Amino acid sequence: MSSHHEPEDKILLGDQEIIKSDLLTLNMGPQHPATHGVLRVEIKTDSEIVVDAIPHIGYLHRCFEKHVEHLDYRGVIPYVDRMDYLGAMSMEWGYALTIEKMLGTEVPKRAEYIRILVAELQRIASHLVYFGTYGIDMGAFTTFLYCFQDREEILRLFEELSGARMLYNYVWIGGVWNDINDDQLNRVKNFCDRFEGELKKYHQLVGENKIFIERTAHVGVLTKEQCFDYGATGPVLRGSGVNWDLRKNRPYGMYEKFDFDVIVGKGEKGTVGDCWDRYYVRIYEMFESIKIIRQVLEGIEEGPVMGKVSKIIKVPAGEIYMRTECPRGELGYHLISDGGKTPYRLKVKSSCFTHVSMLPILAPGQMVADLVATIGSIDIVLGEIDR
Amino acid sequence: MHNELSSKLASLVSGSNPVVNTPATVGDSSITVEAATILEVCKALKSEGFNVCQCITATDYADRIELTYILADFTKNLEILVKANLGRGDGNGNNKETLPKINSVVSVWNAANFLERECYDMMGINFVGHPDLRRILTPDDWQGYPLRRDYIVQEKYLDMVVNPAHKINSADHMFGKNLKVEIGDPKKVSASWKSNDADEIEDAKDGE
Repeated sequence: MSSHHEPEDKILLGDQEIIKSDLLTLNMGPQHPATHGVLRVEIKTDSEIVVDAIPHIGYLHRCFEKHVEHLDYRGVIPYVDRMDYLGAMSMEWGYALTIEKMLGTEVPKRAEYIRILVAELQRIASHLVYFGTYGIDMGAFTTFLYCFQDREEILRLFEELSGARMLYNYVWIGGVWNDINDDQLNRVKNFCDRFEGELKKYHQLVGENKIFIERTAHVGVLTKEQCFDYGATGPVLRGSGVNWDLRKNRPYGMYEKFDFDVIVGKGEKGTVGDCWDRYYVRIYEMFESIKIIRQVLEGIEEGPVMGKVSKIIKVPAGEIYMRTECPRGELGYHLISDGGKTPYRLKVKSSCFTHVSMLPILAPGQMVADLVATIGSIDIVLGEIDR
Repeated sequence: MHNELSSKLASLVSGSNPVVNTPATVGDSSITVEAATILEVCKALKSEGFNVCQCITATDYADRIELTYILADFTKNLEILVKANLGRGDGNGNNKETLPKINSVVSVWNAANFLERECYDMMGINFVGHPDLRRILTPDDWQGYPLRRDYIVQEKYLDMVVNPAHKINSADHMFGKNLKVEIGDPKKVSASWKSNDADEIEDAKDGE
């Protein structure tokens, strides 16, 4: 579907003014492989150069926030899974923390360790999906196959733990559903040992590849100020050179006991805050996750995995805003309770939602192919955007 | 922190009338300000260092709609909830003029652009001065505002019947029913296979 428009006054590519011509409106999506889901980007192009990009979302809208008003507090967790379906463990953990903070529940130590273990494994699995699909966006198909092979190993473990590959319902209010056994912990250890070497290899193959650098360096640059103005978080914010990670700055769970580094984009191959920096942040975050997992395996102790929670959960009246660091950025739950069995209002602050709103400032002046690189680099999941 | 901020706001923005809400037992504190001064309040808070607008959300109460602005300071690592109360207006149909009005804060943080659009779409609030106030999650021709408590799921949408009887998959319901019949006493099978009736009895025992 396309139509012609009146040309704008000036069209700029970088600092250069270029010849005016008719603008062409193109719809990228909603069934376009490069939009990573049902996102439609309405782009106005002048030949190959994007003049304007307007994201249209809502194709996956299920009005989760309305459903929740009729569900008891435990029943919300499976719905939370379906927001970011590539990072479901982190979504559940954020929700469980919100309710536990209101209830004042003590979570057993073993459960805390298991939560960190699954959340960090989930971070690796989620970043692997980003890495693999980003390779496809850039024309490197092989990465995808390698990444999904490794991701499958994590998913297989999660399937044994929870019974499902992607939507787990594993992290419960007060602890976790099921205990992890020594055999599984051993497998995690073996996975870490093997995967660390593999990841170095992948990074050398892709990240240091000349074609990949040409495609991503200096492309889709986000400055620090733009990030704060639009409320970007997570790897996007860190890619722009801001040292901010909730696991360090506002530790939740037991993260303060763990030793790991916050990866910040340095503009190694191009400008600070370009697509390559966001790629770099995610890759090195996986190494940090491995570091955390190793510390979990060392420190994990025997004990119960479920704390004391009353059979019918009634959250005292009041409100809370709780945010956690998910693979894609900060996830915030704003809960208002009137003291009843169901939440009065549960609002989810999604990081992808804010990131997709940055497309209108990222796109102008780019080539169409670079827009694909940019959308891939902010790593969106439409389930979380539309909720 | 909240008391200092509210006294600062009172001196910076005349008529903002800030009130600190402290939770009775657990939870976060917040500051309620006059809805008419929200733009000035947000500008003042930004100059106080709250450089990120994390979230804008609305809650529907029987007599009012409460807007919550969740702001964060990334240098001092603070976060604050600012509230403003609005009337409910008329939330039926698709008319912006009958909705409660409040000034848009897009000029302060660009993050507010999408967040305010979501609030308009879901709760029916007219943000005056918003550059592009369109529906965002639902289609442009949607009637009503789904997250209002009195929202009724329409039986017809654009002359199409919603959930017509012949399209409801009764096989799913029958499958569930048959399971219960075939198993008989679910408690004998495994601990996790309890019938709803058994749950209710145990709930009653807990003194609910």
